[in-house]
Amino acid sequence: MNTLEIEDLRLTLPGTARPVLDGVTLAVGAGETVALVGESGSGKTLTSRAALGFLPRGAEVEGAVRVAGQDLLAMGARELRGVRALTVSMVFQDPRTALNPLRRIGDFLTESLRTNLRWSARRAGDRARELLDAVGLDERVLRQYPHELSGGMLQRVTIAAALMSDPALLLADEPTTALDVSTQAEIVALLADLRARFGTALLFVTHDLHLAAAISDRVCVMYAGRIVEAGPAGALFGTPRHPYTAALLASTPQVDQPRRRLDAISGQPPDLRTALAGCPFADRCRHATDLCRAEAPVSTAVDGGTVACHHHTRLTLEGITHHG
Amino acid sequence: MAESVLAVSGLRKTYGAAPAVDDVSFTLARGGSLGIVGESGSGKTTTARIIVGLERADAGTVTVGGHERSGRPVGRAARLRWAREVQMVFQDPFLSLDPRISVGDALAETLRLHFPGTDHGARTGELLDQVGLGGRAVTALPHELSGGQRQRVTIARALAVRPAVLVLDEAVAALDVSVQAQILNLLGDLRAELGVGYVFITHDLGVVRTVADDVVVMRQGRIVEAGPTDRVLAAPEHPYTRLLLESVPRPGRDPRRIAGARRALG
Repeated sequence: MNTLEIEDLRLTLPGTARPVLDGVTLAVGAGETVALVGESGSGKTLTSRAALGFLPRGAEVEGAVRVAGQDLLAMGARELRGVRALTVSMVFQDPRTALNPLRRIGDFLTESLRTNLRWSARRAGDRARELLDAVGLDERVLRQYPHELSGGMLQRVTIAAALMSDPALLLADEPTTALDVSTQAEIVALLADLRARFGTALLFVTHDLHLAAAISDRVCVMYAGRIVEAGPAGALFGTPRHPYTAALLASTPQVDQPRRRLDAISGQPPDLRTALAGCPFADRCRHATDLCRAEAPVSTAVDGGTVACHHHTRLTLEGITHHG
Repeated sequence: MAESVLAVSGLRKTYGAAPAVDDVSFTLARGGSLGIVGESGSGKTTTARIIVGLERADAGTVTVGGHERSGRPVGRAARLRWAREVQMVFQDPFLSLDPRISVGDALAETLRLHFPGTDHGARTGELLDQVGLGGRAVTALPHELSGGQRQRVTIARALAVRPAVLVLDEAVAALDVSVQAQILNLLGDLRAELGVGYVFITHDLGVVRTVADDVVVMRQGRIVEAGPTDRVLAAPEHPYTRLLLESVPRPGRDPRRIAGARRALG
């Protein structure tokens, strides 16, 4: 059984012409890392929120979101609170906004277990020390305030807090975007260690394809509320099957590629006020045909993954080979 | 050496006890493009703000087009001249555009200030054209535009005064990859067309690779390495430059080794 299973999730917001999530299907197994990649408005954050049972107010919902076999969409408020406190945890982009500046780190770490599981202060404190050690921080931090720590240290604290209840699933939404690149590497190494040690399933949301490929077992690429391509990280880079994946790779400035003009993707993603007849990427795709504009491609299983493109069998798209 | 349009020499700026910028010197060739890379606290943004005149250095000089900009511009004419020499584009176009003022009015306001008594309508159209926005954008308010379009507006406004130097502080960092590529290409085209020089402040080495002829690597307020971008990225000499390069996410990178290298630098 997968830790997280999202099945054909369709979300429609009031006053919009097309679903903001349009048939999203993805699974994360125990101890597995799956990256969800997309640009703003692609629906990646909404998808990860759905794994916590958070849905936008007034949204029409179809499909299923199961965590450890339980369907979150069928749960009442009390059950959902239990899931959020114990089974699924989240690490956010900016640790400074996740912590109360007036409370000590120790309070922040132990609060949830003390209120939700009625743990004693001593027991929760012991668990907090254990996790601070796991994330490479000294227990002195327990008595410190957020402003006394650097951004990288604070992100370690929020990761420790997320793991306090030994959750089955960890959601990380751009957890390294607000950090410096070399600190980013430390946090990524830490997340990899922790998932190996605790067997936690990790859904890593990011806009950065390269980061996604560097840390995950599988990558799902989202565009306009759909997963357009999913597969093992290496394959997705070497031989992308969806033109959007290939276009994203070509438009990313690369350090280790020869200097060149970037292949920018013209235009913008479709907005929610217009209904989509065909493939959401058709207007920006250099391979698009009349079929693409008329009919939405269905997600098809290919070697080790899925792709939603009418022409995936006849296209040979350029990927990226990394040196060294 | 090509004629330099911007020369920075011995800049120093201290906040409290620690120097934010410490003995920073470099030059920018006319129409050239210089990347300043570094992490938070490296002093790259403070350096940019000193060049533009938003901060005053404790020591050192900034020379633009032969004029030394020391102290503070005195009087309206001097302030306008400073502004015409160097313009700045910030990271978040939402914060640098007034939400109640249309694109056309924002450009016209700048033109009225600097070039009173000329035909602003034609120039506004020309500027919008240069940054790839259609004439329809004239009446648009910032919230009606996408992030990429808004950044095009702030670039058009900066170019309105025909500056010799454009300082771009993380100007593409907040944009989506596909839009970022459009803006980077646009900036490349504008430099070729107008001969404006760029100081590109960024944490992203991929961006430096794409836009900068030369690069300066800063750490803790000091320049640790400088040179042509090709050379610095292909054969970095300073361990910190190597650390930054190794930190770029790519399949198969070893984050643990990077963490070790970072600790070794202290």
